[in-house]
Amino acid sequence: MRAWPFLVAATIVAALVFYCARAFDNDYVFFAGYVVLQFIVLATAWNILGGYTGYVNFGSAAFFALGAYSSVFFHKAYPLPIPALMVIGGVVSGIVGLGTGYLTLRLRGAFFAIATLALAVVLQTLIINWTYVGGARGAYVIRPNEIAILGSYIQYLFLLMLVLAVIVICTARLIERSRLGYGFATIRDDELAAEACGVPTLRLKLIATTLSGAFMGMAGAPFPYYIGYIEPSSAFGLAYAVNSIAMPMIGGTTTWIGPLIGAILLGLLQQFATVTISSAVNLLIVGMLLVDFVIIAPNGIVGLIKERRTASNVVVEPTVFVLLFALNFSPVYFLAGQGTGAQSIGLVFWLILAYVAYMRGRVLGRWWLIAFPLAGVLFAFAPVIAAIPVTAATFVSALLQIICVVCGLLPVRRPAEASAR
Amino acid sequence: MSEPLLDVSGLGKRFGGFVALDGIDFAVGEGERVGLIGPNGSGKSTLVNCICGTLHNETGTVRFDGGNVDGLLAHQRTRLGLARTFQLPRPFPSMTVADNVRVPLLYTVNARGHGFLTAADIATRCTDLLDIVGLAHKMDKWPRDLTQVEMRKLELARAMAAEPKLLIADEAMAGLSQVEVADIVSLLIRLNERGITIVLIEHIMRAVMSFSQRLVVLVSGKKIADGPPDEVIRDPEVERAYLGQ
Repeated sequence: MRAWPFLVAATIVAALVFYCARAFDNDYVFFAGYVVLQFIVLATAWNILGGYTGYVNFGSAAFFALGAYSSVFFHKAYPLPIPALMVIGGVVSGIVGLGTGYLTLRLRGAFFAIATLALAVVLQTLIINWTYVGGARGAYVIRPNEIAILGSYIQYLFLLMLVLAVIVICTARLIERSRLGYGFATIRDDELAAEACGVPTLRLKLIATTLSGAFMGMAGAPFPYYIGYIEPSSAFGLAYAVNSIAMPMIGGTTTWIGPLIGAILLGLLQQFATVTISSAVNLLIVGMLLVDFVIIAPNGIVGLIKERRTASNVVVEPTVFVLLFALNFSPVYFLAGQGTGAQSIGLVFWLILAYVAYMRGRVLGRWWLIAFPLAGVLFAFAPVIAAIPVTAATFVSALLQIICVVCGLLPVRRPAEASAR
Repeated sequence: MSEPLLDVSGLGKRFGGFVALDGIDFAVGEGERVGLIGPNGSGKSTLVNCICGTLHNETGTVRFDGGNVDGLLAHQRTRLGLARTFQLPRPFPSMTVADNVRVPLLYTVNARGHGFLTAADIATRCTDLLDIVGLAHKMDKWPRDLTQVEMRKLELARAMAAEPKLLIADEAMAGLSQVEVADIVSLLIRLNERGITIVLIEHIMRAVMSFSQRLVVLVSGKKIADGPPDEVIRDPEVERAYLGQ
């Protein structure tokens, strides 16, 4: 699809999303949706640098917070409408991105990642000591309750973030299919060879750091209006840095759709976990899924769909099989008896368990291994549906999974041995 | 004769206390086929890296096509018409074979400013270039699916895509069988006949002898011989360097 039709299609999808959200007639949908959209922007922006050129940025939170704090600054100094603040936030973070790019041009791999982490710490320290924007105490930004036409203010913020998400995704897709995208990919693959092909690697890296930083700043600009009270440790929170890396990684880093899938999946999951369990469990879920995906699908969901073989290769090693199984079983075990909402989050891990068991089953020729995790799902929901005691259901389920692991470890009798007996 | 296409004079490069290149003077005329030989560690690849801008020389100058290129970055030199292949093939693994060739078309040919190639032009050029090296049937494959010799050919096609005036082939044949070496040599000669000056760096003497019109020998960072191949290999100093005292 060409760029313009895609923009039109994306706008239509966005309009539909907004229409559906309004149909709920509940402001919570907008509050939750805003966060998911914000993560879509952050993940896609991170991916422009991290996915396309291969430079891993651990300082996403810094760019996000810069956008947020430039809004706080103007809120006090000279109040402007939020779209203008988003542009300003983008410019500020873009300039910092450009500067970071210049300073870290010679750094590659882990060293670049460490430098971006350091940038976040330095900027956070600066903000903590800048009293005009609240310093360590934080700053209140009181948003109006109502806005013309739309009514509720949160709907306005949601709409702005929706528009930004459309812009960022269209930009990412445009880059991917352009000369710039080819240049970025050569940097990710081999910088020396890229230079030999005439690719101006330094300039391209600067474009990537600037664009990526600018979009993150734009995502951060409306944040003070959303949250109402902003302080350095929340704006520079670990959640932003971790999520903006984890989402593209889980979705897939080489295409625009990867961060989108990852952000929607993880974003919704985290909103769900916040409501059903607690917001503290969010990063735990993200972390566990990240471990799963790095092992099972290093190229994310997009990669998993494109190349199906990788996963069964992974579980050829019995230790990896057992560890993956244990890792994904622990959350479902602790979620047992926490109610339907928590069970639904557990479902994600059950799904991965089933996948691991299926893949291990394929390696050993025991396709029925997948039946154990599936039975486990039934038992997990059994206390909700029928009147079975939670402890009994959990016990049976755990027993089934242990049998699954044992069956997954029993050596396969080779045909030659079998005939010899 | 007018000024040579490539003119290296007094080139020196050190790595810490180690003198890798020591006052190299070396010129290549337009349309020439030059072989550059020397034992392992004699500085051949360092010389290539200094000429192409991957490394920067401490002393001496490199002039190319009538202008001084010292201080220019590697990609700027590529745009001037100085292409190279790498000793170990360095394809872009996440791109198809055709896309590998597309990169220099996008970034070198289009960046030169005289006439912008359209997407269709680029696609035709990709096919043509891969056709020349005999890889057209593998256009949509990935570099990981290629054999060693095909990888070298891709490397050559990618260098050719930049429309170079001078092509420096750094050990384009290391590790190949005799048949494959002959294949690459004839390919290089074909390219030379299309008007491209070629410097071949090689260990395989048979290949160098059949290819070169002139031979340059480097030993421990110094040039010890430069002349017609038959004379150079009979040079006692060259014999000593290769066969020992």
